[in-house]
Amino acid sequence: MSGQGIEIIINALMLSSMYILVASGFALVLNIMGILNFAHGALYMVGGYVCYQLGVIYGINLWLSLLLAAAAMALFGLFLERFCFRPFYGDFFNSTIVSIALILIFQTTVNLTMGDHVRSLPPFVAGMFKHGGVSISWDRLATGAIGVGLLGILTLYIRKSKMGQQMLAVAQDSVGAELQGIRIHRVAAIAMGLGCALATVAGSFMGAIFDLTPFMGDLILVRVIQLVILSGIGSIGGVLIGGLVIGALDSILPLYVTPSIAQTLGLAVVIAVLLIRPRGLFGREVG
Amino acid sequence: MERNMSHQRGFSIVPRRQAYAYLAGLVILALLPVFMKTLYSYHIFILTFVYIIATSSLRTLATSGQISMCHAAFMSIGAYGSALLARDAGWSPWLTMPLGALGTMVVAVLIGFPFARVRAIYFSMVSLFFGMGIISVNQIFGKYTGHIGGMIGIPPLFASSKVPYYYFFLGLTAFSLLVLWRFETCRIGVCLKAINQSHEVAASVGISEMKFRVVAQGVSCFIVGLAGAGYAHYNTVISYSSFDLLASIYLIVYMIVGGIGSFGGPIIGTAILFVLPELFRGLKEFTPYLFATIILVVVFLMRDGIVSLGGKIKSLSVRSS
Amino acid sequence: MILQTIGLTKNFGGLTAVSNVDIQVEEGQIVGIIGPNGAGKTTLFNLITGSLRPTAGKVVFQGKDITGTKPHVVASLGIGRSFQLNPLFAEFTVLQNVAASFYLHPKSSLIDAFFGTSKYRRNEAYIWEKALEILELLGLDKVEQELAKNLPQGYRKMLGIARVLATNPKLLLLDEPLGGMSLGEIQFTMGVLKKIRESGVTILLVEHNMQIMDIVDRVFVINFGRKIAAGTIDEIRNNKDVIEAYFGADQHAT
Repeated sequence: MSGQGIEIIINALMLSSMYILVASGFALVLNIMGILNFAHGALYMVGGYVCYQLGVIYGINLWLSLLLAAAAMALFGLFLERFCFRPFYGDFFNSTIVSIALILIFQTTVNLTMGDHVRSLPPFVAGMFKHGGVSISWDRLATGAIGVGLLGILTLYIRKSKMGQQMLAVAQDSVGAELQGIRIHRVAAIAMGLGCALATVAGSFMGAIFDLTPFMGDLILVRVIQLVILSGIGSIGGVLIGGLVIGALDSILPLYVTPSIAQTLGLAVVIAVLLIRPRGLFGREVG
Repeated sequence: MERNMSHQRGFSIVPRRQAYAYLAGLVILALLPVFMKTLYSYHIFILTFVYIIATSSLRTLATSGQISMCHAAFMSIGAYGSALLARDAGWSPWLTMPLGALGTMVVAVLIGFPFARVRAIYFSMVSLFFGMGIISVNQIFGKYTGHIGGMIGIPPLFASSKVPYYYFFLGLTAFSLLVLWRFETCRIGVCLKAINQSHEVAASVGISEMKFRVVAQGVSCFIVGLAGAGYAHYNTVISYSSFDLLASIYLIVYMIVGGIGSFGGPIIGTAILFVLPELFRGLKEFTPYLFATIILVVVFLMRDGIVSLGGKIKSLSVRSS
Repeated sequence: MILQTIGLTKNFGGLTAVSNVDIQVEEGQIVGIIGPNGAGKTTLFNLITGSLRPTAGKVVFQGKDITGTKPHVVASLGIGRSFQLNPLFAEFTVLQNVAASFYLHPKSSLIDAFFGTSKYRRNEAYIWEKALEILELLGLDKVEQELAKNLPQGYRKMLGIARVLATNPKLLLLDEPLGGMSLGEIQFTMGVLKKIRESGVTILLVEHNMQIMDIVDRVFVINFGRKIAAGTIDEIRNNKDVIEAYFGADQHAT
């Protein structure tokens, strides 16, 4: 395989893993709380900026900043669940509107404080990897590797840990889970916190490879919604496969057709899938 | 036990008092220009009229229980359709506007058939992606529609000042609201509400869900296409960024904040959410905060929207007397 | 024969809900379908009205094959249906519920409706008058202004019947019409059903409550999705398979 081919694969893996990290948080919240948190993209953006604030402005070690940012955003996620979303479990429209309000607040705040010029996080790992015809930045390589690793850990956590099992139970059948003594609010809070932490990690990595802008959340939100809906409401594992598909499409298609055509094709596919099979590729019947 | 408001035998939801209120409002708005000094105030009113039409038509579809997340995209079809015909084919805007609306309706009906097979959140999701698709298609034909900078040089309706535009849009709003109101209160609207309450029962009495949802989508999108076309010829510049997913979501926000349950809800919601930020124009950068605050206040404190406030105040005063 | 099912079968994945059911309904009769819970009776109704597509078999109405026809078309052909769990138009009043159900007869076109032509206005006046009559027939006229969602269970069932009468059906499919009713309401409803039969409408009903036996002309017994017996009430009462189905094989007649 050519060096360029390998680069494409690594890029696709990197993008996919980042999308899936963000989408997992979104899917967890959707399946456990029954809401579409449109603000998830904005949280990804805020997470990246928080890392920037710690790492660049305060000069803390970049990896440490990442951990601190993720922790801080996780706590923030707990706060959001408790005060913004708790009354709206399962209420699609009101929760959508609340998340819109949150997007406005987040984007405006970031824009006013840091939006005056485009910023970028320094690479987490500097330099270029050059070997056997492959030439790619270490940062992209590392991000892809860490992304895949995190996803592996996340999958293990959800499948094996007690809280993870509880999450799956609530996602499948919240009433049944409650009857079994699972405290839904606690599960939801942790899901939200976890989602925020994952989004922060993705936002920081992406903010290093690309740029940080107050509106970068919008683009990823679109991808994430496509991904989650395509994989299906009700499926957390299916997000992985959907993410690979979309990540691959996003890195390969633009090489052959214009971005707008790629976008249109992607949307047409998602619409077609939804019309034929509303519950997505892997989801279960809802509502 | 709760009692239904219309103690008469009928489905009409607008009692006499409300009809008079609308009429009074119309008269006041017609006389307002006498007091308006700045061009900018005309501009705000005109935009508010456009959005009132859009939000009200969104609600018409919502009475069947489905919330469309691509309504702004339909508006763009009317806008670009009319603009292209007028600018590049040289036809009069007065002809291209209804044609643009017609084109919007055709698209709406065509996709309405497959979309009528899905409900609730799935319908909303499909409409979301469709709206984004419209924008992408628009971008593909950027050569004709102008790229992010926008499409310019759209022939205007009137020569110069804003005043004729003001009356045009006031008239358009009155016309649209009349059409939507009649649609909702006649048997068609009743069938839509029946479908919303129980599509099973509706089918068992012979009401075809697909037929009515397609008709509702057609009428709703005709109206919003008309609004879009009118806007295009007023602004003479349009960009697809004004019709993107966020714009569609804003329409939903206006509608729900105002109150989805009543005909006047979208009107009040749009008026408040549109006009209030303008009163604080000096702090332009902070208007999203104002917006967000209003949204959160309404969602947390007034579950049924701002219109329900009237009912709550009334019941409070009855209790205390 | 106004209705006939031939070999009607429905499989859900591995589960067979209805298996090879043949029933025949003569015009002007009240026919009952009885059987234990979960025997597949409601599924049978869903197959007849088109809410479900059968895996195999046919449904013949007035000589025409209507298998798999969509529910709203089935309604327009003259089959009215009530539901076991009794969904209603919850936010409409009792009167509005019935008036809203007058969609098929008299029929106004969409254009007529929108422009309020004289034909439409005449139809609407007729509808409200007729709706009130139906409510009086069922004793619901005293609660005409109540929201449907506030009604007690027995009244809801009667509203379900009232609603379906508005479609001017030739065949009425009633799913547990006596469910949740008090003794007085049951007697009243059975009287109403007899009146409906007298007016020439055929009734096919699913019911648990054995009191319905007083008014049915013919009975089909369904268990585990299969027809296990058919005949008049007397024939059924002494049928061994029926006794076994309801009381278990270990029961001995005392």
